Amino acid sequence: MTTTVTAPVFQDTPFVIGGHTFRSRLLVGTGKYKDNATMVRALEASGAEVVTVAVRRISLDRTQEEGILYHLDPARFFLLANTAGCYTAEDAMRYARLAREAGFNECIKLEVIGDQQTLLPDVAGLLQAAKTLAGEGFTVLAYTNDDLVTALRLQDAGCAAVMPLASPIGSGLGLLNPYSIRTIKARLSVPVIVDAGVGTASDACVTMEQGVDGLLMNTALAQAADPALMAHAMRLATEAGRAAYLAGRMPRREVAVPSSPTTGMLS
Amino acid sequence: MIAALPRLHAVTDDRVAARGGLVERAAAMAAAAGPRLAVHLRSRLPGGAALLDLARRLAAALEPHGAWLVVNDRADVARAAPARAVQAGRGGLGTRDLRRVAPGLAVGRSVHDAGEARAARADGADFLVAGAVFPTASHPLAPAAGTGLVTAAAATGVPVIAIGGITPALAAEVVAAGAWGVAAIRALWDAPDPAEAARAFLAALPAAPGVTVTVNGESRPVAEGTTLRELLAQLGLDPRAVVVEHNRRIVRRDALAATRVAGGDAIELVHFVGGG
Repeated sequence: MTTTVTAPVFQDTPFVIGGHTFRSRLLVGTGKYKDNATMVRALEASGAEVVTVAVRRISLDRTQEEGILYHLDPARFFLLANTAGCYTAEDAMRYARLAREAGFNECIKLEVIGDQQTLLPDVAGLLQAAKTLAGEGFTVLAYTNDDLVTALRLQDAGCAAVMPLASPIGSGLGLLNPYSIRTIKARLSVPVIVDAGVGTASDACVTMEQGVDGLLMNTALAQAADPALMAHAMRLATEAGRAAYLAGRMPRREVAVPSSPTTGMLS
Repeated sequence: MIAALPRLHAVTDDRVAARGGLVERAAAMAAAAGPRLAVHLRSRLPGGAALLDLARRLAAALEPHGAWLVVNDRADVARAAPARAVQAGRGGLGTRDLRRVAPGLAVGRSVHDAGEARAARADGADFLVAGAVFPTASHPLAPAAGTGLVTAAAATGVPVIAIGGITPALAAEVVAAGAWGVAAIRALWDAPDPAEAARAFLAALPAAPGVTVTVNGESRPVAEGTTLRELLAQLGLDPRAVVVEHNRRIVRRDALAATRVAGGDAIELVHFVGGG
């Protein structure tokens, strides 16, 4: 007898950020790949629609790599520009305005970094920039730490999504404080996207199991020995974690409960 | 990278270098032209020690006036003198290798056609010496390329010094064709009064062919009144692939052709790169 296994189909709520609806809850960065071909293969394997990019000076001597748009089709991927590397609200706003002028969309992944070693955000600068940019019509996705009050203030400032970290950028330490992330998700009405810190597929799965709306990663793919294969794993893990969250896990018990009937045993 | 490339280049050759009074003549021109003068040491006659000795004496005569010493091909001599720039002739070392030997010095390259100019630009040269533009006694057998060569070289966006048969009477014509400055051998060194000849050249250069602007942190000369759209074209950039900030204000694509730069302007040209 043959059993046909069909792919699990589940009804999920739409993933919407600032009026843009996406199918994939996995967002990926485009930095730190060893070459552009490897990056493109990883993006394909991840199934991501939203990819992040940075704003930098054009190399006038042409000895440097060309811009990323020579490798990415902007009709196929939703380009989410970031303000990475900005340490003041003014700098972050300058980069955001330049990014919007590129003409793709009004979304900005807002980063205002406060500390070089940990790349943790400068909350005061972040709130100031978020408020100003939201007022200028930007769809602001704010990278922040896993602090509920900051997340609430960012929502109040007009952010379209709040992006708390799992652990520091590029660290691969995984989800350090599931409680904080669950609390933030429970209290915010805008989407919560965990950004930064996942290292491998189990990290992605556990993070999505907290019920967050999405997950953004870069280094975990770019620095994997096989980025495309890790991207495939992350895609499955993100979907698995999301499905598990929607399915609702069983309660934890301190004692065993048999899975097989206790009646009908042979005497 | 280039602070302010001089506009008048007094180029030596073996004949000029071999005869007496070279340093004195260079000093007289530097006193007259100041930082607008560059003297190119191009002799292949002396050995390294003699060439370096000459380079040092020239540098000592030029530097007090802010004039440049440019040493041709011998990056080791250029670094030791020290000169302000090293100029690579045909078959000379590549720009990267020249910078390896003489870090911090500007690098110029001789170019003879549009292809060489594009290659020099791709290689990262700071300025181009393009010629021969007009028939010249220094290279009697070489065909003159005409001012079309100057225009083609200037299209790379790299500052161009025109060379070959240029006299004060022809200076305006090559500047109109796109040259930043002019180079001469006989018209300067063989003049009865080299200082007077230098003054005549500078007076003949159109007064305001260029201003200096900062593009992505680097100084570059541009013609006065250049529009941002023209600047992008000179840099070989597609306006659709770049966002332009002019003195901290973003300039929309449709306004690039109407926005003109002025001396001292700061221009930032950015695009998207990989990021997280």
